[in-house]
Amino acid sequence: MTTPWHASEDLTLRYADGSLPEADAWSLEKHLETCTACATRVSTAVRNTPAGLVLDEVRDLILTATATRPKGARGSDMCGSAAWARPAPTGRHLTTHLKPTLWSLGPALRGTWLLALLTVVVGALLLNRAAGYEATRTLLLTLAPVIPVAGVALSYGPHADPLHEITAATPSGGLRLALTRTAAVLGLSLPALTLTGAALPASGAPGAAAWLLPALALTLGSLTLASYVGCRTATAVTGGGWLAAVLVPAFAAHGGSLTARLAGRLAVCFDGAQPGWAAAAAVCAVLLAVRRDAYDHLENR
Amino acid sequence: MTGLRVRHRRTVALDSVDLALGTGVHGLLGPNGAGKTSLIRVLATVAGPSAGRVELLGRDTAEHRALGEVRGRLGYLPQEFGYYPGFTVREFVSYVAWLKEMPAARTPAAVERAVARVGLADRADRKIRTLSGGMVRRVGIAQAIVNAPEVLLLDEPTAGLDPEQRVEFRELLRELGASATVVVSTHLVEDVAAACTEVTLLDSGRVAYRGTPDTLTALGETSDGPGDHPIERGYTAALRAHRATEVLR
Repeated sequence: MTTPWHASEDLTLRYADGSLPEADAWSLEKHLETCTACATRVSTAVRNTPAGLVLDEVRDLILTATATRPKGARGSDMCGSAAWARPAPTGRHLTTHLKPTLWSLGPALRGTWLLALLTVVVGALLLNRAAGYEATRTLLLTLAPVIPVAGVALSYGPHADPLHEITAATPSGGLRLALTRTAAVLGLSLPALTLTGAALPASGAPGAAAWLLPALALTLGSLTLASYVGCRTATAVTGGGWLAAVLVPAFAAHGGSLTARLAGRLAVCFDGAQPGWAAAAAVCAVLLAVRRDAYDHLENR
Repeated sequence: MTGLRVRHRRTVALDSVDLALGTGVHGLLGPNGAGKTSLIRVLATVAGPSAGRVELLGRDTAEHRALGEVRGRLGYLPQEFGYYPGFTVREFVSYVAWLKEMPAARTPAAVERAVARVGLADRADRKIRTLSGGMVRRVGIAQAIVNAPEVLLLDEPTAGLDPEQRVEFRELLRELGASATVVVSTHLVEDVAAACTEVTLLDSGRVAYRGTPDTLTALGETSDGPGDHPIERGYTAALRAHRATEVLR
């Protein structure tokens, strides 16, 4: 079938910029349905209008974005049953392995406790360097053994972990998770506080590493005690007990400055007693192994 | 699946409860404080019985080694559960899968599947704290079913769900009950009528009634107790009958 006429240049341009009267536009559209040549010319004219250029740009952007989309990117296309049947991208696999291990380190490492550790470290350095306070190491060593104990308190149990109720019903719950989190707490606080102590002048205080065994013994003691009374009470007893054992005699004694008395008290607790602390840590470790089943239902206690 | 047997004696929450539950959906009904949550927590191995024995999947949960194995095949939705606020739905469910010691290679697919089953696939990357209460409840259901558990314990799973979601959830329950032992505590009698194969009614820490939704409905049809539906009348009738015999004892 031959068409009686073709759209003129003027008609095509006026259609493209929208200035053609509606009746004429309709009749042109009717004609375009059957005439490829005119349809191509109109199409070209429309593409050259401002709106056509914007559309082209958008199309290019979308194509570029789709082509360079990173592997493992998650989008709304992941919904529906087809999505989970599709093999997961390798990027996702890596996060599945790595992330939960970090998550399992628990509430302490990303919460209040980490802030407390930082405060002690930065505070001690500032007190010494900026304020020129000579006895800072004495104060640091007094406080240091309490910090890993506090980390245990804030790591495990219904009071510390919002996920505890769910965790307690999984094979990972119990002593293993408590130990993993304690290890993370010790792994951070022991080097951080020892290095801080070493950076401070001695000024009569014990060595910067003298607190390590006592801290280990107190931490293991907390875990053992927790198998009877729960983490919160246990850490309050051990942490509070330590502070009382150091501070009360130091305040009660006479003669010399308070920091000197404190340093003397620390010397008594640390220097001669290291074998005692080691023995205490060993005893607590054995007791904890004996009491491990109690962690299966820790919430009862 | 050998079913589970519970004998639990405790003066406060549960007293002399003997139950054997097999494959299917078991509704746990009872007034507030009847001991539904206590029973579910004991079954979930979170709380230990002060006396009595709990056997799950043919293993005695008092044994430490058996406990670890049983816990890997459990799913548990607590009545109230916390979450880390920064976690997305997918991260939360993945973390629980990890806690349940699922093989890492199977985890991503299992997580997507669990999230899709509770209708949250389009929100998998949303942080949980931005979700509504009903959606958080569904996240809880997703974490419970992620390991395709053989024993699934759900404490008030329909709390906070709107009627449409509850209907969908009952459908999911029926699916799960085909191959697993599902225990659902609820105070909504119609949930039990629609989705459960068996009903256990608890009152003051004791088993007041055991039967099926049909027998409970039949009980309601022959009684004139309060309630808008036969099964509700059955519920109150069973409760009253139990209390009457308790007084005589």
